Amino acid sequence: MAEPMQVPIQYNEAVVRKFVIAGVFWAVVAFLVGVYIAAELAWPEANLGFSFVNFGRLRPVHTSGAIFAFGGSILLGTSFYVVQRTCRARLFGGEALADFVFWGYQFFIVMAALSYVMGYSQGQEYAEPEWHLDLWLTVVWVIYAVIFVGTLLKREEPHIYVANWFYLAFILTIAVLHLVNNAAIPISMYSAKSYSVYSGVQSALIQWWYGHNAVGFFLTAGFLGMMYYFIPKQADRPIYSYRLSVVHFWSLVFMYIWAGPHHLHYTSLPDWTQTLGMVFSLMLWMPSWGGMINGLMTLSGAWDKLRTNPALRFSVTAVGFYGMSTFEGPVLSIRDVNALAHYTDWVVGHVHSGTLGWNAFISFGAIYYLVPALWKRSGLYSTRLVAWHYWISTLGIVLYISSMWVAGIMQGLMWRAYDAFGFLQYSFAESVNAVHPYYVIRWMGGVMFFVGALIMVYNLVMTVRSPSTNLSASDAGQFGPAGAVVAGE
Amino acid sequence: MEDDISGIIVGIMVAVLGLVGLVMASGAYDSEIFIFGLSVAGFAVLFDIGLIRRHHDRRALARHRGGKHG
Repeated sequence: MAEPMQVPIQYNEAVVRKFVIAGVFWAVVAFLVGVYIAAELAWPEANLGFSFVNFGRLRPVHTSGAIFAFGGSILLGTSFYVVQRTCRARLFGGEALADFVFWGYQFFIVMAALSYVMGYSQGQEYAEPEWHLDLWLTVVWVIYAVIFVGTLLKREEPHIYVANWFYLAFILTIAVLHLVNNAAIPISMYSAKSYSVYSGVQSALIQWWYGHNAVGFFLTAGFLGMMYYFIPKQADRPIYSYRLSVVHFWSLVFMYIWAGPHHLHYTSLPDWTQTLGMVFSLMLWMPSWGGMINGLMTLSGAWDKLRTNPALRFSVTAVGFYGMSTFEGPVLSIRDVNALAHYTDWVVGHVHSGTLGWNAFISFGAIYYLVPALWKRSGLYSTRLVAWHYWISTLGIVLYISSMWVAGIMQGLMWRAYDAFGFLQYSFAESVNAVHPYYVIRWMGGVMFFVGALIMVYNLVMTVRSPSTNLSASDAGQFGPAGAVVAGE
Repeated sequence: MEDDISGIIVGIMVAVLGLVGLVMASGAYDSEIFIFGLSVAGFAVLFDIGLIRRHHDRRALARHRGGKHG
């Protein structure tokens, strides 16, 4: 008897393509603004005397641009790609709903950036947009969740692939964090000004519960979802241990949510709460490394591919940086280490080892995989350019984080140095002067990372446009008929 | 079919958001809300025009596939 014929599923790839284009565009913008504000720190005259380009206003443009615009666009795009293919189902809700999520999210980003340069801000890190923008994002995010969950519900695969668990944790937790932390009362429907419903130390605790879990669920859980799909695909190997992925998923989501108070050591927050945050941060080390081990061991028997596939090199190096920054984070959360490191540039270096090394690199790996697949090309225009991108960016990160380690530890030591009479040995201005050379090195690291991104843009544009990457008839089946791609593969 | 229903629901929702934007811009106390309100209204107009265009594109494609040219 003939087997029932599988009808190929028409996946919605148009919205994924749009998110990839937007992600690449915002990467360039965010890196450029980062380079500019790094120059402002090294050479304050770069402010040019304009209020709208001073550090205070451009800093949230850089952070939101890198995290929410670049990272967010890639996360949303890859989640739509992954959920469709691993569920063998077209996105729930039709084209219009997915399009609204894309354009609504881009609109939020543009309006938020405009708002920052005009001087409007709630003054809460990573949650700067005022109430009206928060409400807009809520609408977009709820629809995003409806599409994702709806697609999971109508899946034709019996089980939910682990990448989707991570994406789901990212979507649901970010919704809760956003709603709770941004609870505010506007002074009028016609004014951007609002007041938070929290005050004093409760406000600080809610803010850092939000802030740290934005790291935990936006920058970790979501990107782990990306890792669990794209590394097995690039390496052409199954995940090393599916059981480990489930165990580290549940332990990660349980522990992360308690770690926020480590941002408030030596403040008016009760001591026991600070200790709770520290202990959970230390415990987080294990589930974090569970993910790293699973990602790296997936390459068992395929390590040779790192020589020939520089895009995979990005993904694997990202996992290495993930392991490094999730080791450094718990160390920084220890109260005695924090006494030295807090408020210094060490923390800035730590954040960038995570965002550049982990988030950006895993995104670059996914982008290099996705562009030929989405535009139906035979491969990338130039793997040599990918290798150039990889090395120049890696060197940029090394310059960035090593200069910030030196600058941060030096700042910490200078601020706590006393003379024989018990007076502070250094004024604050002296510590600013001392770190100047390291700020210049950091700027150079940023420039290199930015140049790497420009190389990527050129390579991707040529991948789409060059006749040399046209799909020949024999290559046509390389990405397979849509319906044949199944969970886990 | 799913695309048509989704288009109608999303189109109405975006139109309502656009009207709210216009109301906010009309009574704005500060430039932020003025710009935001007008931008939401502009977003709504452009988005809904896009929905209408894609609806007609789909119909034209269906006619083409069905062999009814014009």
